[in-house]
Amino acid sequence: MRDDIATTARGPSIHIQGLGLTLGRSSILENVCVDIVPGTIHCLIGPNGGGKTSLLRSLLGQMPHTGTIRIDWPAGRRIGYVPQQLDFDRDLPMTVDDFMAITVQDRPVFMGLSRRKACAVAEVLDAVGMSQKRKRRMGALSGGERQRVLFAQAMLPFPDLLILDEPMAGVDEVGSQFIAKAVMDIRAKGTTIVWIHHDLAEVRELADTVTCLNRTVVFTGDPAEVLSPEHILEIFSHAHHHGKKP
Amino acid sequence: MMEALRLLAHDLALSGGLPASFQYGFVTNAVLCALLVGPVLGSIGTMVVTKRLAFFSQAVGQAALTGVAIGILIGEPPTAPYASLFGFCVLFALALNFTKNRTRMSSDTLIGVFLSISMAIGASLLVWVAGQVNVHLVDKVLFGSILTVNDLDIAVLAVMSGLVGVVGLARYNRMLLASFNPQLAKVRGVQVAFLDYVFVVMVTVITVASVKIIGAMLVEALFLIPAAAARIWSGSMRGFFAITVAISTVSTLVGILAPMEFDLPIPSGGAIILCASLFFLAATVSRLFTRHAS
Repeated sequence: MRDDIATTARGPSIHIQGLGLTLGRSSILENVCVDIVPGTIHCLIGPNGGGKTSLLRSLLGQMPHTGTIRIDWPAGRRIGYVPQQLDFDRDLPMTVDDFMAITVQDRPVFMGLSRRKACAVAEVLDAVGMSQKRKRRMGALSGGERQRVLFAQAMLPFPDLLILDEPMAGVDEVGSQFIAKAVMDIRAKGTTIVWIHHDLAEVRELADTVTCLNRTVVFTGDPAEVLSPEHILEIFSHAHHHGKKP
Repeated sequence: MMEALRLLAHDLALSGGLPASFQYGFVTNAVLCALLVGPVLGSIGTMVVTKRLAFFSQAVGQAALTGVAIGILIGEPPTAPYASLFGFCVLFALALNFTKNRTRMSSDTLIGVFLSISMAIGASLLVWVAGQVNVHLVDKVLFGSILTVNDLDIAVLAVMSGLVGVVGLARYNRMLLASFNPQLAKVRGVQVAFLDYVFVVMVTVITVASVKIIGAMLVEALFLIPAAAARIWSGSMRGFFAITVAISTVSTLVGILAPMEFDLPIPSGGAIILCASLFFLAATVSRLFTRHAS
């Protein structure tokens, strides 16, 4: 585990015991047991269809499941969430500022960003390198730029628990550097971060703990120890066995 | 109050302050309705277009035909069968939304099925009750008529516009976010399923309340055409909203007044939608020219 963890974590610890999830006749998760230490980055890796997103949605209380998920909140209960994508009409005249207004305020978006929120919005967009593109339409941004905006909204209000569902998907080199830096800054303030990630090199560099999920936990632990060539081969062979991409 | 407004308009028309047609009370009634219908349908239209629910609004509009038929059948006044209209259309919208949330069928297919069933019931009932009423009344429901608008219609429209305006504005952002990503919306405390029902009821009640002016067949067009034109001309949600409401209101006023002023034998609903369509045509042509020039 990394040695620069915030001394006082503001984020919760999470204990998942015997988690099971079935959709129709298919079993998505079986007997998943994971412990997430407060104030750390916990990465979830594994093949597509291995149940990572379902685990996150169970964690968010959005999917019926068996087993227990206990979240011990030390203080606040603010959750930031970065989804994989947005479903909207690319021709919609919704600027980056408009999208931020829709997510962070109740005042109708057509009345503009409220003065109270404008400063905070400027700050988080700056943190992900999108402050120059605030007047651009969301539909005109590249996939990576949209992901950065999605990441920015998750920082408002500042989260105690940050849940990232593949925020790096389709993000270019510059974008992923911005996001990685923002994640580390958030972690430095003691937030617990649960992060689905596919880039094993980055997981090795950034994560405190990694869990490989393929319907159940394949392995879990310190990335420096568990991301061995044998384990990586195991992920690939699971993926190959199930006909899925890692 | 309505009588005082009509008298004021009458006097202004006589003194030349307003067009001569305002001497007639029904013109004042129609203009008041236009000033309610235009902004409200335009505002809700921005949400209908953003949430990609154009086909849904069409289905609700056409369900009104069945509501009218049921109203005539159970003895409501043929020109104002509001209990049946609201009752049937709200049930139709709730049943459609409930089914949509519980099947894997595509939204388009499901709405098409519901629309077909509703139209089949409506057509059958209308033929059945055709002997009980003047058939031209049905034309007025289908395509709108300002001649039949009375104080009750204005009151119904004003109450529904107020309700829809207050609820819609207070939950505008949340309703949009729920359509962009329901999971994100839930994390942000949005009651996604509940707001979905609130939205379909909002669209339904304002559709039914506008049927007298615009007509059941055409009311959905006023949700869509102004917003579709405004989307081309605007660069932000503020512009999108403002231009949509402006086009919708101007189209409604022109569509009501122009046939009278120029003695054109067309229904108000048709004139309103034709006017809105001119804006859409202008927006589309201007975009083509802009692209060509760039």
